[in-house]
Amino acid sequence: MSGAQPGMSGAQPGMSQPLLVLDNVTKNFGAIEALKGISFSIGKGEVVALLGDNGAGKSTLVKIIAGGLEPTSGRMLFEGKEFLAKSPAEAKAAGIETVYQDLSLCTNVDVVANFFMGREITRKFLGVPVLDEPAMEQVVEKALASAGTRIPSLRTNVEHLSGGQRQAIELNRFVHFGGKLVLLDEPFAALGVEQTRRGLDMIRQVARQGIGVVIITHIMQQAFQVADRIVVIRQGVVAGDVARNKTSPDAVIDMITGETLAGAGPAG
Amino acid sequence: MRQPDQHMSPRTRHALEFVLDNLVWFMLVVVLVVFSISIPNYFQLGIFANIIEASSVLGVMSIGLALVIITGHMDLSVESVAALSAMAVGILFCSAGIGLGVQLHPEWLMVPVSLLIGLVVGGIIGAINGYLVVKVKMSAFIITLASYIWVRGLVLVISGGRSAQDLAPAIRWFGIQRLLGLPLTAWIAIACFVVFSLIMAKTPFGRHLIMIGGNETATFRAGIRVNRNLVIAFVLAGAIAGLAGWLLAIRTSGATANLGVGLLFNAFAAVVIGGVSLKGGVGTLPGVYAGVLLLSAINTAINLMGLPANFTQVIHGLLVLAAVLLDAFKQTIRQRLA
Repeated sequence: MSGAQPGMSGAQPGMSQPLLVLDNVTKNFGAIEALKGISFSIGKGEVVALLGDNGAGKSTLVKIIAGGLEPTSGRMLFEGKEFLAKSPAEAKAAGIETVYQDLSLCTNVDVVANFFMGREITRKFLGVPVLDEPAMEQVVEKALASAGTRIPSLRTNVEHLSGGQRQAIELNRFVHFGGKLVLLDEPFAALGVEQTRRGLDMIRQVARQGIGVVIITHIMQQAFQVADRIVVIRQGVVAGDVARNKTSPDAVIDMITGETLAGAGPAG
Repeated sequence: MRQPDQHMSPRTRHALEFVLDNLVWFMLVVVLVVFSISIPNYFQLGIFANIIEASSVLGVMSIGLALVIITGHMDLSVESVAALSAMAVGILFCSAGIGLGVQLHPEWLMVPVSLLIGLVVGGIIGAINGYLVVKVKMSAFIITLASYIWVRGLVLVISGGRSAQDLAPAIRWFGIQRLLGLPLTAWIAIACFVVFSLIMAKTPFGRHLIMIGGNETATFRAGIRVNRNLVIAFVLAGAIAGLAGWLLAIRTSGATANLGVGLLFNAFAAVVIGGVSLKGGVGTLPGVYAGVLLLSAINTAINLMGLPANFTQVIHGLLVLAAVLLDAFKQTIRQRLA
């Protein structure tokens, strides 16, 4: 697999001003402590793979950054400023894009409507905002073509598309809108080999533009293909935070299962 | 990846989808043709005008109901809200019965004022419904069922069970003045359908309502202000029901305590027959209008045939049943197409 080359990125991990800093973020659901204090940071143009066993708290963490959940305590700095998104709309306004594990598409409308969900292109007609369908269709056509995704008709309702085609829409959406930080929660679950390779390429491409990327994955190989840094979460705490080229899959598996605390210790 | 549609050319497929999308219009045409052939005196311009005229109140009310159902919720209160608005207008601007006979100068001022009162009364009830659904997060079915009951109760309380008659002539003018053979009240209903159809199909707001009905979580994650949109949908449904009440007061030249009883189920039938899915996210307002006209065409046929009016209810019930079955059947065909 020569498609994804992590080393190609110009940005170095841990650059002078981190994009997002998490400082002792916790989250309780009733008596259950899902996150017991998470601290790590993401630099501009850096790809961080977030690994951990089921129930380690990865998805909870992503939801907190994306504005879907509020943390119980702790703080976050985004571009050096105190940051807390109370809703996905706020996170999005700040420049944080998220692709969730369970697909976030409306299957009852077409590809174009889904691509532009919540930020439709409009033109004024008698002072009323009216959807500019031709303009939107053109953008989607371009975005999908440049990513090599083939969908028979952009005006087909998403319910008629395959799982892979649906995920391609979501991935192309974040590539197109970009923002400053992208959170991907197991984005390749429904993709085939070729589409996954292309997805990993997309991630590198986005990172080259200086966008920070956090990707949750279960597949060690993917993490090593795409990430600059690997952060392991175990039982609600950071069990390891290491540069990709200073560790090995076996060492990471040990961190996930808690055999040893290999490599660099928790970030502080 | 190719879809498994080798046995069907894209053209037949598109034709079939077009028929499925507009099925209710085809049904309306078929019903009108059958009635015109089989029922003496049915085929007259006057009869067709009457079908449109008789459906104006129901049509307007169905718009509000359809909006809320398309967003994946429910508003059972529209009928009682219409009655409350009609009663408010009736008490203020009727000169007999419990009417206060309020006079405004110049006279035409009573039109916008009475209309505004109808809309505001409806909008307030809609806002209460919306607030409870969004903030208390209770099922819209239960909350609006409660409104259906207490708002009708309120009508009884403020009217004391009595009625208001003789609506001010300036307001009644809308029900009498005709344009191209239709009273202005019917044109108001048609205008409402045109405006709201455009809002749903062409504006971001309409698009968001449809998407919220399809997948509320996805729209929330995409940064759409779901709660705000839902409250607006409920306020609109209430205000539109208020407009229906205003039309109802004009039509009956006043208001009685049991005005409009049973309209909810007709509106419900029209919406379902019109192709709106009760699961939310599916349906268009032109389809709903066809559903309203279909019901009205059937009512007119029953009248002309001299059947006892009680039959209408049996037929409406069967129609709703047929519409739901048809919806399931359409989905099976669509899945084959996909």
